[in-house]
Amino acid sequence: MKNPPSLVFEDHFNISLGDLQKILNISLSRGGDFSEIYLEYKIYNFINMEEDIIKETAESISLGLGIRVLAGEKTGYGYTNDLSFAKIKKAALTAASIASSRTLRETSPLSPVRFHHNFYPVLESPHKESLEKKISLVKETYHSAQNFDQKIKKVKVSLLDHAQFVTILNSEGLKVSDVRPLMKMACLAIAEKKNKREAGFSGGGGRVGMEYFSSDLTPKEIGQDAASEALELLEAALPPAGEMPVVLAPGHSGVLVHEAVGHLLEADFNRKKTSIFWNKMGKKVGSSQVTIYDDPTIPHFRGSYNIDDEGTIPKKTLLIEKGKMAGLLQDRLSAKLMRRPLTGHGRRQDYSCIPIPRMSNTYIDRGKHSPDEIIKSVKKGFYAHKFLGGQVEDSGKFTFSVSSGYLIENGKLTAPVKQATLIGTNIEILKNIEMIGSDLKYGLQTGTCGKEGQAAPVTDGCPTIKISRMTVGGQ
Amino acid sequence: MPAKLKELAESLVAFGKVNGADEVEISILDGYEFSVDVRLGKIENLVEAGSRSLGLRVIKDKKTAFASSSDLSKETLEHLVKNAIKRAMLASRDEFSRLPALSKKRVDISSLKLYDPEIPNLDSAKKIALATETEKIALEDKRITNSHGSSFETREIRIIFANSNGFLEEYKQTFCGLSLGLLAGETDNQVEDYWSSSKLHFKELESPEEVARKAVERTVRQIKPRKIKTQKVPVIFEPTMTSWLLGFLFACVSGVSIYQKTSFLVDKLGKRIGNERVTVYDDGLMPGRLGTRPFDAEGVPSQKTLVVDKGMLKNYLCNTYAARKLKLKSTGSSTGTGVSPGNFYLQAGKISPEKIVSSLDKGLILIRTIGHGLNPVTGDISRGAFGLWVEEGEIVYPVSEITISGNLGEILNNIEVVGNDLDFRSPLAGPTIKVKELTVAGQ
Repeated sequence: MKNPPSLVFEDHFNISLGDLQKILNISLSRGGDFSEIYLEYKIYNFINMEEDIIKETAESISLGLGIRVLAGEKTGYGYTNDLSFAKIKKAALTAASIASSRTLRETSPLSPVRFHHNFYPVLESPHKESLEKKISLVKETYHSAQNFDQKIKKVKVSLLDHAQFVTILNSEGLKVSDVRPLMKMACLAIAEKKNKREAGFSGGGGRVGMEYFSSDLTPKEIGQDAASEALELLEAALPPAGEMPVVLAPGHSGVLVHEAVGHLLEADFNRKKTSIFWNKMGKKVGSSQVTIYDDPTIPHFRGSYNIDDEGTIPKKTLLIEKGKMAGLLQDRLSAKLMRRPLTGHGRRQDYSCIPIPRMSNTYIDRGKHSPDEIIKSVKKGFYAHKFLGGQVEDSGKFTFSVSSGYLIENGKLTAPVKQATLIGTNIEILKNIEMIGSDLKYGLQTGTCGKEGQAAPVTDGCPTIKISRMTVGGQ
Repeated sequence: MPAKLKELAESLVAFGKVNGADEVEISILDGYEFSVDVRLGKIENLVEAGSRSLGLRVIKDKKTAFASSSDLSKETLEHLVKNAIKRAMLASRDEFSRLPALSKKRVDISSLKLYDPEIPNLDSAKKIALATETEKIALEDKRITNSHGSSFETREIRIIFANSNGFLEEYKQTFCGLSLGLLAGETDNQVEDYWSSSKLHFKELESPEEVARKAVERTVRQIKPRKIKTQKVPVIFEPTMTSWLLGFLFACVSGVSIYQKTSFLVDKLGKRIGNERVTVYDDGLMPGRLGTRPFDAEGVPSQKTLVVDKGMLKNYLCNTYAARKLKLKSTGSSTGTGVSPGNFYLQAGKISPEKIVSSLDKGLILIRTIGHGLNPVTGDISRGAFGLWVEEGEIVYPVSEITISGNLGEILNNIEVVGNDLDFRSPLAGPTIKVKELTVAGQ
């Protein structure tokens, strides 16, 4: 594979391996069970184009380390971006203070782990590509949206890229590194007609290099997609309100899986018994057509990683199997306390954050129905096409904001509608899934999930799905 | 090192000028944070850390570049400045790109009461005890079945700001917060809510008893919710919900969304956007409040701005760039390329919240919303909601699995009552309000 992840911390952190071993020892000096150092160096670039000009560019460097100590169910955490030994030692002592045990644990000598997979081979890391080249991609997207139709009055395009270098060392002797590229192009187009104004959005990217924008998704397509959504919304009416059958479009509707199911299968909520799923392992929680996975190993996806932020090699994880709860997304702490195997889902926003169980790329597996057959089966209902996002509570109550959709009348998509909210309880929705399509697709590679104030790049996906009844909030 | 941060800012401004920048702006944040999470009586997480970061902007030939770094080594920073000047040349020339001129106005920083010397002196044991105590009080209530935990956090920050127009200032600020999240009911019929108190001064923080009592009250009132039929009804917004609505209004009066034409309030300056009950201010100078600051992220002094006067839109809230685009003046609201509120509030009315509820014949008290569904381009609102159903002036049962939908423009014209319970719990603050009619979708 090209560009195998290399061990990099020595390049940016002027700390010897011996000193790091000392720090691991210091962090267990109060009797913790486990200690870990997370070193992170991130270079980030941003380009913004609006009002026909490249408004600004930005470059950002983030360098720091976090030290974690586990003692039973407790976590002590210290971090610093001052990398003097004294400051790192202070962070270690802060983390250590969580423990108060007389038996002191020995740390194992560090032995580097090398892995042989790379889920994001790129021709060149995007942070090394020239700004000129990136600016031309931005301009291409911008003009594609702007020139799509005269009614497009305003376009905004941004391109973000970063390279994140992480090294994780722990008291069990682990030392492992990863280099993660990430790109995200986002395009907003605003269409105007008479006094109406509507916005359309599109974008793409993932853990990819520049080649993605010529081979997978072109700037032209991104611009056109945003513009055509804005134009279509100009003609859209507000949706009806009330309970009705809902058909979810393939791809974008994956946010429903993420919200309605994924979050509540994160191990921490189950260990704490706050998730509605905590007492349902192996039990039937939904229609037997439903199988759900979380897979951090899908090449080039935004949510993928070679190792998680605790250094664990991730696994494709079965969450729901034919309607039965089959698995949880684990991080080290929850896996240990629940005596379950690691799945490689311990993620963190950056070095200042404690890792927690997170999703990566979550999707409902394909079913047996053709999408046409599914739409045809609905006499009167709502077709949810594109989503802005969603939110869930531990009780399973969730909402999704639909930015565009259609009415379904007598088995056909008819009038376009905008701005609807879907609401329900996850168990009810899982049970009410009546048909699943054979057309599994993934949403835009632009999604970011928030949990406890930490942002993480994610992807989700699903085939066409029919839910027999769901509350649609409209007017 | 910390004592030298001011010199660092000054020297980087000079370094940028020497290397060819027309204008240079440097901001440095030096922070310390402590937080403890306690759940079911045990410490879950304890975090303590100091961190610093630096942000910079250079303008050359009216072309702009930004950079930031958490690595404050001279080598990295000088490289970033030089690279920013190079990158600026690749941006487009923009007549509106210019740093603000040095203002003659000076804000007396000490009068703003941003710093509480008690906060750095709180000892860890006391901080942990506050979180532990809060949760313990709440768990004594038998209706509470589980806990998301209680957290106590403190922050101390020092902000240093310098630019090539001769601005060089710094200030220190403290912050503390106590919060608690609870669950009630059995696993399959669970309800949840939380309460939190955040202040700049420790002695103003709500006590563990108050936070626990409110968190319990807010959680248990949702037990055994019902669904309701889809209908249009009057809706009472609790203060936390009015604040949420004001957050949306803020996004729509932001000068940045106005010049970008992403707000439904474009071209509405001087025009009526709400009824006479709607008066909104943004005030960055209120002593000791969460949204208070002496100057914004461009060094423009804070001020009190009348945003909506009895329904008439008086001012957009602008950073320097948006102000130039719109031929207005900066309101000291800059975050850099965006804007943020000072203390942005709806002026209180005279009626008590109890009276507002007791005079409602039939309708909904909105207590929480979840999800997205705010569209500033149109003002459309569509959110998942939780509420309390009111009949003949009495709360009769909680409702859930509903959505509310409406339009901010219409809501501002349909506010029938404004309560007297304005409390500055967050930088966005509003009292209880009653709105004539919104669509509530249920069964």
